Amino acid sequence: MALEIKGLTKQYNAAKIGLSNYSITIDKGILGLLGPNGAGKSTLMKIIATISQPTSGTLFLDGVDIVSNPNFIRKVLGYLPQDFGVYPNLNAYEFLEYIAAMKGVGGKGLRRRIDMLLEGVNLTADAKKPIGTYSGGMKQRVGIAQALLNDPKVLIFDEPTVGLDPEERVRFRQLITEMANDCIIILSSHIVSDIETIADEVAIMQGGKLVTKGYPNQIIEQANGQIFEVLLENTDVAAFKTRYQVIDTGRHDARTRVRFINPDNSAIPEAKPIDASLEDAYLLLTQNKA
Amino acid sequence: MPYIYSIIKADYLQRTRSYAFLITLAVTVYVAYLFVPPTSASYTTLSTVGFKSVYNSAWVGYISATMTAVMLSFYGFLLVNNSIRRDIDTEVGLIIAAMPVSNFKYLLGKQLSNYAVLCTIAGCTFVVSILMFLVRGAGYPFVLAHFVLPYLFFVLPAMFLVASLAVVAEVFLGKRSILQFILYFFLCGACMAAINKPGNHLSSGIFDPFGLSLVTSSVKNQVNAQYHQHIEQVSFGFIFNKRQPFKTFVWNGISWTSLFVFSRLLWMSFALGLVYLSSFFFHRFDFSNGVRKKKKQKDLIQKKEGFSMMPSGISRASMPPVNFDYSMFPFIKTELLLLVRQGNKWLWLLNIGLSLSMLFAPLTVASSYLLPALWFLQVTRWSDLVTKEKSNRVHYFTYAAYKPLQRMLPAQIIAGFLLAIGLSLPLILRYVIALNGLAILNIVAGALLVVLLAVSTGILSGGKKLFEVFFFLLTYMLINKLPAADYLGVMPQHHTLVYTSVLVSIVFLLAMISFVARSYQTKHL
Repeated sequence: MALEIKGLTKQYNAAKIGLSNYSITIDKGILGLLGPNGAGKSTLMKIIATISQPTSGTLFLDGVDIVSNPNFIRKVLGYLPQDFGVYPNLNAYEFLEYIAAMKGVGGKGLRRRIDMLLEGVNLTADAKKPIGTYSGGMKQRVGIAQALLNDPKVLIFDEPTVGLDPEERVRFRQLITEMANDCIIILSSHIVSDIETIADEVAIMQGGKLVTKGYPNQIIEQANGQIFEVLLENTDVAAFKTRYQVIDTGRHDARTRVRFINPDNSAIPEAKPIDASLEDAYLLLTQNKA
Repeated sequence: MPYIYSIIKADYLQRTRSYAFLITLAVTVYVAYLFVPPTSASYTTLSTVGFKSVYNSAWVGYISATMTAVMLSFYGFLLVNNSIRRDIDTEVGLIIAAMPVSNFKYLLGKQLSNYAVLCTIAGCTFVVSILMFLVRGAGYPFVLAHFVLPYLFFVLPAMFLVASLAVVAEVFLGKRSILQFILYFFLCGACMAAINKPGNHLSSGIFDPFGLSLVTSSVKNQVNAQYHQHIEQVSFGFIFNKRQPFKTFVWNGISWTSLFVFSRLLWMSFALGLVYLSSFFFHRFDFSNGVRKKKKQKDLIQKKEGFSMMPSGISRASMPPVNFDYSMFPFIKTELLLLVRQGNKWLWLLNIGLSLSMLFAPLTVASSYLLPALWFLQVTRWSDLVTKEKSNRVHYFTYAAYKPLQRMLPAQIIAGFLLAIGLSLPLILRYVIALNGLAILNIVAGALLVVLLAVSTGILSGGKKLFEVFFFLLTYMLINKLPAADYLGVMPQHHTLVYTSVLVSIVFLLAMISFVARSYQTKHL
């Protein structure tokens, strides 16, 4: 199973471009999408989920054009949008039944399937209560359950860990790692550590374009040798920031430890090179393209 | 003050920058055109049997202001009674709640933005009234004061009251829109009936919030004086009469008294007082002090928040295989469930009571009054039919569903239709017994027409208000026997197969518009 995207462009109006000549091939496994706000991640996901049409370009799933034949992917699609809602007057069970109907899932196994999904996201005890009474995290878990209703082969998660507490985030990561064996999972998040932990491959986007795509260690490799750390007097930090892109700061013995990008490898007293992380690489790459 | 100004400005812009508002203005212009009918028309808007005024500037100006005050008092409330609700839905309310703005200032801001919206619409009818004088004026001189003063002393104070009542209704009745409509229309209807009542003694107009009794008594006095008559009643609204000979009279407007002008200020102060009083009961977006039962339920759920997803997670291998079933039945079931659960459950007693009363009421009353009124009570259910996805942010799922156009939209239409037919069953039963197939066909076509009107306006405007205003006007005009509004084919002259075919054609047209517009939407989120 593979999703081939070629020359995808989404132009909202003369001044606003969502995607610009975007090409990527996505195979089975987890692809993490990283990019600043407005990079085009949600636009890409909406187009793959067939709820937005590209201005130009093609999308093929297993050789089938899903722009002209959207129902082909809809049958095997699980989609968790970033800003989804629920019908507050329905309970979780009724809502999942409704979503199942949308996906064309029915038959005798449906009740058992919903029961198992509700159990899996720990909502069995509250399944008969109106969703309007749920907390944000519980609604997010309903969202995760609905995405899995039709045993999807293509799963799209747009900021799925928003609203989940740390324990739930860990469980969610376990869940999708388990799911990734035989399907395509596309996951976007602003939390780079989430992507770093679970994604097989990472695609970094900016301004509607693909900056780079590869395994996390390949992307990190691009930043190695350019990330440094230095201890500065607190009063010097502001001036330092004007010269270098600072990734992170922290207090250390009444001084400030500064982690920064030094692409020219210029000589700075007391600065020492350190191992890069995916977050460093992401900031470096998006800075270069800015 | 800067807070209030910002609230008014933001709220006003939010409401007026929409296609729905533009369409409402267009409808208003058309309705304002109807306010001044040609002398040959089969209806009048302010009349006394056997007499008609000449179309001088006083008559055109006052009639337009009077009708604006009446009509806009009714449907203007529908337009503006969601200003607080929008802040709840968008969660902007939570930000406002954390600001130093007081309850009264916030509500005053909402009241004034309601007022600004209503005044914008009234401004349109004012311009149309002048144009109508130029069209129908028949050579009488144009007197600007005859247009400005009735708008100033009738329409503006009346709209101020309507804007306040909309805020008060939202504070006390929250999201119970249909209950708000019922109580408001009952209040307004009672007020209008008091003005219209033969022999009423409100000639000074000070106790009449709309001030209209001043006009009706002045017209009555003019006719009685000119023709030595003793007429008791002058009616306003769209009144359909058989064409009959009439005498003309010349009416030159009313003399404004300082007492009347002062009474307008008193009514506006009263409206402001209502807003002030309601500020003591305003929830300020804190719903934690709601019904105890609900609170307990929420607490219980929040306690369970301590648990998270099961450590075992979800095992795909142990799940039953997926069976595909592309039938519409589960959709229809859920859509019906959503329709039934919407609104206050106690109002179902009223629905059932009205529905059953159609078994016993005279057939004409049941078909011409009870059925339109009963269907109008469902206005918020139908207006929600295709707009709820976006308002609840579920459209991401529905638009990505398998064949949404062929399965979901028809299911929503069928669910809305089943609700209409279910409520009409007692009347249909009577027609079955009477072997009146055409009347049954007309109810079926009427049900489809109303549902598809809700669907098409909802899809095109993206909101509920347009349909709610449309349906109110349609119901009002049907009850007032305007032939063009007879979507149920209940008027004797419409008991023909040709008329039913016209209804069915409109149904097909609305269905086509709905499907084409939805098809576009599902691809362009």
